[in-house]
Amino acid sequence: MDGRGDSETSTVNNLGPVTITTPGDRQIVVTRLFDAPRTLVFEAWTKAEHVARWWDPSGVPLAVCEIDLRPNGAFRWVNRAPDGGEGHAFSGTYREISPPTRLVFGSSPDQFATLVFTEEGKKTMLTMTIECATAQERDALLQMRVDVGTAQTLENLAAYLPTIA
Amino acid sequence: MAMVAQTDPLSLVFAALADPTRRAILARLASGDADVSELMKPFDLRQPTISKHLCVLERAGLVIRKRDAQRRPRTLVAVPLRDIADWIEPFRRFWEQKFASLDRYLNDLQKKEKARGRKRR
Repeated sequence: MDGRGDSETSTVNNLGPVTITTPGDRQIVVTRLFDAPRTLVFEAWTKAEHVARWWDPSGVPLAVCEIDLRPNGAFRWVNRAPDGGEGHAFSGTYREISPPTRLVFGSSPDQFATLVFTEEGKKTMLTMTIECATAQERDALLQMRVDVGTAQTLENLAAYLPTIA
Repeated sequence: MAMVAQTDPLSLVFAALADPTRRAILARLASGDADVSELMKPFDLRQPTISKHLCVLERAGLVIRKRDAQRRPRTLVAVPLRDIADWIEPFRRFWEQKFASLDRYLNDLQKKEKARGRKRR
């Protein structure tokens, strides 16, 4: 995507609403259905050439996208800043890689995200469980109240995510 | 669940919602008021257990006690649930944008694959 408003790519099929639940006091569960085969959705999360193209919702490719896909391998995804330099970085370490069903990554022993890819016919359900160290940390992550809907919110959260994932 | 010292309203609501029985009680109350004995039946729980759960829900402001001559039916109060939803909204929106972006990308990928498949034939 190049942000020029291509009518083909700007069609949003709005398949799955994103649902957020908090089953325990340290967890956040995010789910979303994708209209693509499971192997492809898994690859979109695990191949640098793919992640670089979608992680920034503005459509601007990432400035840096490094993925060392093996247990204890590192990843580093860096947004392109408006001035052309490097923006917010999201980084961590892979813990478990089981294509095409399961992916676990984190930055410390008690903070990690588990992605589970489930086939639903020809579609794929993504269930992402974010496990925080404490209830306070979980609440802080959810509490992104500043200027709802503005870019600032996204930047704040993007800045915060590396500390939990 | 460990007793949490936090007393701000949202923490109380989160703590109340962390228990599956309490979520089930709320779901039952969403379909209409019920008193303790009516709540005991579907859950197969003893009266003190139900009362304890109701106490937590009342403290979180999710349930209120109505005064009715003999019965003391409980009513669901939806406002704290909406507060939770509002509170989570920016987080949800963040992922909605990321996933919409992934959606578009997956679409493009599949179109390209199809186009390549046609050329080969």
